[in-house]
Amino acid sequence: MNWISLSLKDWQRRPLRTGITLTGVAIAIAALWSLLSFQRGYQDGMQSELDRLGAHILVVPKGCPYDAASIALHGATWPCYLKQSYLKQVATTQGVATAAPAFMTAFYDATGAQNVYVGVDKSILALKRGWHIQGRFPQGRDELLVGSAVAERMKWHLGQQVNLPNVPGQGGQVSGILAPTQGADDSFIYMGLNDAQHLFKHPNELTHILVRLKDPDDLENTVAQLHGCSAGLEMNVVPLAHLFRTIQSLVNSTRLLLGCIALIALLVAGAGVSNAILMTVVERTREIGIMRALGASHSDIFRIFWLQTLQVCLVGGGIGVVVAFAASRTLEAWLRGRLPFAPTDTLIHWEWWIADVCLACSIILGSAAGLLPAWRAARLSPCEAMRASRGQM
Amino acid sequence: MPSPPKPSQTSPSLPVVEAVELTKIYHRGREEVRALNAATFRIERGEFVAVVGPSGAGKSTLLNLLGCMDAPTSGTLRITGQEVQGLSDQQRTRLRREQIGFVFQHFGLMPTLTVAENIALPTLFARRRLAQRVDELLEQVALSHRRNHRPHELSGGEMQRVAIARALVNNPQMLLADEPTGNLDTATGDTIISLFQQLHQAGLTVVVVTHNTPLASATQRQLTLRDGRVD
Ligand SMILES: Nc1ncnc2c1ncn2[C@@H]1O[C@H](COP(=O)(O)OP(=O)(O)OP(=O)(O)O)[C@@H](O)[C@H]1O
Ligand SMILES: [Mg+2]
Repeated sequence: MNWISLSLKDWQRRPLRTGITLTGVAIAIAALWSLLSFQRGYQDGMQSELDRLGAHILVVPKGCPYDAASIALHGATWPCYLKQSYLKQVATTQGVATAAPAFMTAFYDATGAQNVYVGVDKSILALKRGWHIQGRFPQGRDELLVGSAVAERMKWHLGQQVNLPNVPGQGGQVSGILAPTQGADDSFIYMGLNDAQHLFKHPNELTHILVRLKDPDDLENTVAQLHGCSAGLEMNVVPLAHLFRTIQSLVNSTRLLLGCIALIALLVAGAGVSNAILMTVVERTREIGIMRALGASHSDIFRIFWLQTLQVCLVGGGIGVVVAFAASRTLEAWLRGRLPFAPTDTLIHWEWWIADVCLACSIILGSAAGLLPAWRAARLSPCEAMRASRGQM
Repeated sequence: MPSPPKPSQTSPSLPVVEAVELTKIYHRGREEVRALNAATFRIERGEFVAVVGPSGAGKSTLLNLLGCMDAPTSGTLRITGQEVQGLSDQQRTRLRREQIGFVFQHFGLMPTLTVAENIALPTLFARRRLAQRVDELLEQVALSHRRNHRPHELSGGEMQRVAIARALVNNPQMLLADEPTGNLDTATGDTIISLFQQLHQAGLTVVVVTHNTPLASATQRQLTLRDGRVD
């Protein structure tokens, strides 16, 4: 027998109370874990989304810029179009390294699956540096570059002649398959820009232009130049880094709220643990007197109750982390439905440092919550404690 | 046979207890209660003493002072030669842990611990590891077969035997018992009395507070208290 098992054995005395106290701590720590993991996942997801896009600036038709960015990133049918002639102006603007035109449209088939077609020219390759193409980039007419998820879902292989889903009577040849990018590109079907414009009957129109800068730090300047060019009034220039920051700050304000809730949950759980252990101290007053008679010192008594609080918090915290992780998919699905913009990457995933932070918080919580009851127990005079409710033992 | 306590570090000629004008005053609101009033007495090494007297006479108070659970209000108290009245709580705890074994009327076993763990509990407070000692004591109180049972599975007499084994585990100089047979029927009480007698014969100093005539008459000497005074 040792100090830890001595405290542990006391749990069985009041299983219901122990259970409730553990649950309180578990909920608070689960909230903390989810919050930290989400924050981390969201930030990382946004960053890799930006990296995968390869563009610093998005040029879209006049309209809602947030919406447009989301469409460009995840694929949908566009409500409005840009004249192709603007491309030249954008491409020649000072500071622009590459301006890649795109024509995008999307369909939903009967199963609810989305088919996104994107017409692009070779300039896109200067942006998508992470792409690995099996086969080749579309060169001739009706050649297709398909994302890995599309190839898998449709069971398409290289060189195959295929019918385009949702575009009756039209076909093409799979000239290239994209290695998985873990992003939206995996579910896109790329084709030549001209092909797309003709196929979807918008000749000489674009849905967006992806702009890569020579120097990413030169963003402000280039944005101003783009606004200033003669087509400037017809285009919305969306600096993506800014956009992401704006979205992030939107999410941050929610996070602050969630953070406060987690903090309150922690404080309430701490008060609950403290209260439960205080009740234990009152119930065990006579036992405390007996232990003093058997040679336990002030600090021995303190240690017993302090350890017990610590154990409750640590175990509760451990349960909270595990439960939060187990529930993370559900939470993620729920969050995705409510966020203004969510990156395609998993938002909530396991990271050891977050689990460590949560357990450290449990320990701090337990240490603090245990101080009062342990002190109350330790300062009892042995005789007084022995005299307490003598008849009940 | 219970094993005799280890030879004392202090001189064997010294009395285990030496009390001079020992006084304990409790305060109940504005009222002063003289639970012990200038009690003077000695208890020699190896003695078996009964403390008797009417209810409220101060018997438990006396036992608590002997066990260093409390500090006297005035007077001198020496336990195995060491003056107790000026000691801090920490020092009294240490003395209690090393020299005193306590047995209570209501047994005071920890309900969540097994018999063996209950007996070993004081060794935890004393930072000792005495697994063998626990086995020895279990055998002495004839409860080896109960070592992994919980207190609620035992009879009253068995519980009190566990409590006595627990009081002996740190090899105390003196065993203090407050009404050890108070919660037991006569037959069971008798086995506890004979256990105390065996311990006494093995050389241990035993002080029991009791209303119980058979127990009192089993001792060598009776210390009678009346209104906090030794008769
Ligand atoms: N902590 C205390 N505070 C106030 N008064 C106390 C306290 N402890 C004991 N007393 C009083 O001191 C007196 C002696 O009490 P004590 O418990 O020593 O008597 P006792 O001889 O053991 O009695 P009993 O046979 O009923 O156990 C009693 O009047 C009691 O009420
Ligand atoms: Mg009494």
